[in-house]
Amino acid sequence: MAQFLLETVWLVPLYALIGGLSAVPWSPGIIWRTGPRPAGYVNLIMTFIAFVHAALAFPAIWNQPAYQVSIPWLSTAGLNLSIDLEISSISVGAMVVIAGLNLLAQIYAIGYMEMDWGWGRFYSLLGMFEAGLCALALCNNLFFSYVILEVLTLGTYLLVGLWFSQPLVVTGARDAFLTKRVGDLFLLMGVLAIWPLAGTWNYTELAEWAATANVNPTLMALVGLALVAGPMGKCAQFPLHLWLDEAMEGPIPSTILRNSVVVASGAWVLIKLQPVFSLSPIVSSAMIGIGAVTAVGASLIAIAQVDIKRCLSYSVSAYMGLVFIAVGTQQDEAALLLVLTHALSAALLVMSTGAVVWNSITQNVTQLGGLWSRRPVSGLTYVVGTLGLIGFPPLGSFWALLKLADGLWATKPWLVGIVIAVNALTAFSLTREFCQIFGGKPKQMSERSPEVSWQMALPMIILMGFTLHLPLILQSLSLLPSWADLNKDVALLLVWSSIFGCSISGVIYLGNVPKPIRLPWKGLQDLIAYDFYTPKLYRMSIVLSVDLISKLADIVDRFVVDGIVNLVGLASIGGGEGLKYSTSGQTQFYAFTVLLGVGVLGIFVTWQYWGNQVLEMMF
Amino acid sequence: MELQYFLLLAAALFCIGIYGLITSRNAVRVLMSIELLLNAVNLNLMAFSNFLDSTAIKGQVFTVFVITVAAAEAAVGLAIVLAIYRNRDTVDMEQFNLLKW
Repeated sequence: MAQFLLETVWLVPLYALIGGLSAVPWSPGIIWRTGPRPAGYVNLIMTFIAFVHAALAFPAIWNQPAYQVSIPWLSTAGLNLSIDLEISSISVGAMVVIAGLNLLAQIYAIGYMEMDWGWGRFYSLLGMFEAGLCALALCNNLFFSYVILEVLTLGTYLLVGLWFSQPLVVTGARDAFLTKRVGDLFLLMGVLAIWPLAGTWNYTELAEWAATANVNPTLMALVGLALVAGPMGKCAQFPLHLWLDEAMEGPIPSTILRNSVVVASGAWVLIKLQPVFSLSPIVSSAMIGIGAVTAVGASLIAIAQVDIKRCLSYSVSAYMGLVFIAVGTQQDEAALLLVLTHALSAALLVMSTGAVVWNSITQNVTQLGGLWSRRPVSGLTYVVGTLGLIGFPPLGSFWALLKLADGLWATKPWLVGIVIAVNALTAFSLTREFCQIFGGKPKQMSERSPEVSWQMALPMIILMGFTLHLPLILQSLSLLPSWADLNKDVALLLVWSSIFGCSISGVIYLGNVPKPIRLPWKGLQDLIAYDFYTPKLYRMSIVLSVDLISKLADIVDRFVVDGIVNLVGLASIGGGEGLKYSTSGQTQFYAFTVLLGVGVLGIFVTWQYWGNQVLEMMF
Repeated sequence: MELQYFLLLAAALFCIGIYGLITSRNAVRVLMSIELLLNAVNLNLMAFSNFLDSTAIKGQVFTVFVITVAAAEAAVGLAIVLAIYRNRDTVDMEQFNLLKW
């Protein structure tokens, strides 16, 4: 049975796709008598099937060698494109996580989207995301990974723009699409440039090629940088990070997915391409640089946000930065582990804060407070999510961060410092958010805030259970390091940094420090609160230059190009208008022109008989 | 006496006729210039007939026809001039520029 399920595991993306497509008829324009809810239920069933299928197939592949499936897609002269699938424990495991988180997010959305009519659109897009992500997990081909990433970029545009009557949603969706699109286009350049070098887009063959490749280092650096640029936009890394902030305008259930899984789709491609990147030290240092800057910068920004969702979105950027560092230092396993633990914890945090937003309306943490006694489920899930995200043993991310820091300890100790710093800063910011939402005295907006209904509480609790059990699951899969191999210095540093961040934050925000907290230097506080003024930077650099160039091109088009063509027409009109006066109405003038014509023609025809003699006589 | 003198005379007459045809402002003088042209043609025909075809003299027959047709043409031409004059009270060629652009 399990073997059969494993052989048909490529059906998992199709279930999700069917679920997504079958949600479409409940768009208000098609079926309106039943209301939109069946769209969600149909999708839920299909996601459940996908999850069960993947989860049952997972034990069959565990500790088994991966096997490849290749489906021919297009065969033209000199190019055979086949959809390569890799059925391995990692890809099936990724599908379990994706389908599982999607299942929980969809149950959550049944509660969250209760007073919304747009279920058909929302659930079909969720199904599309699930299908795309599962397909990406299975896909073993760079080209088709790119295809899926582009489809997901379009999906992000549509999903962020769900409530398109809000102006900020429209601009957010626009930025999310364009920013990710830019990264994807660079990725396409890299994808196309690696074909003549390696002759294959299959990740396995690319890794084999990279093991023995002898390429011009500059060329490899350029190709590698282009390949990094795609995941850079996907993972919301500096400087392509603004979209994730603006994408927080979308509905929260989709944010669960975005923060946990969609953002990680870039990291997935990055991890798969790691052998190619390791060919060029420049690319590795660039990835480490981008990751380090993003990790530190974004975790600083997260501290200075007042929007409950934006605090979390910057933490996502920061953790993806750590994944970049891990891939840049050739630590695939640490990167994968970090993606997994981060996905669960980030989803849990977004669910918890979404539950708070659902009943407290405001997203401003400074207007919330004192919810701990009345919102125990939300509070507990938030605590577990926080502890799961920062380095707190024995929960998941501690092991991932430990693995990462342990690998960096011998080679690049300064990066361990960054990991520790990011951990401490994230601990600070998450605790700050916790203290402001759940601690202190109730404020006006949180005066009466009941706990959410079971549709939202159930997935939160289930996911909390998963987060708590993650170490046990990892241990049963023997993914955790044994106690003897443990680098206890690094472990202690991580734990201390977590405790340090949490306790300082707790003292500041639960203690008697006057609120709102002001840094001594207001400029710095504004700088990180406004995200290093990234919108202004975009507007002053890229947007401004593209805008100016397009305006210039418009002027050139309208005046020079159009002008030249119009000039031809004008010249014809002018010629006609001017030459019509040759029809003078005078019969004698006509006679004259006839004679002139005859004379000229006569001279021309007979010139050969007398012309030269005349010329000789004259000169 | 040689052929080319006749031809040159006829050409000169033709040119004078052309000049008159183009420059005259009086419509009747235009008709008179046309007569000059026709007579220049007649001179040509007669000269060729005399010097090149003195036995069959086909040129003279042509001349007779030209004179006949010229008379008819002059009659019709004068009738046209008269018809225009009745309408517009003038025979000035520069007043007859109604059919322009």
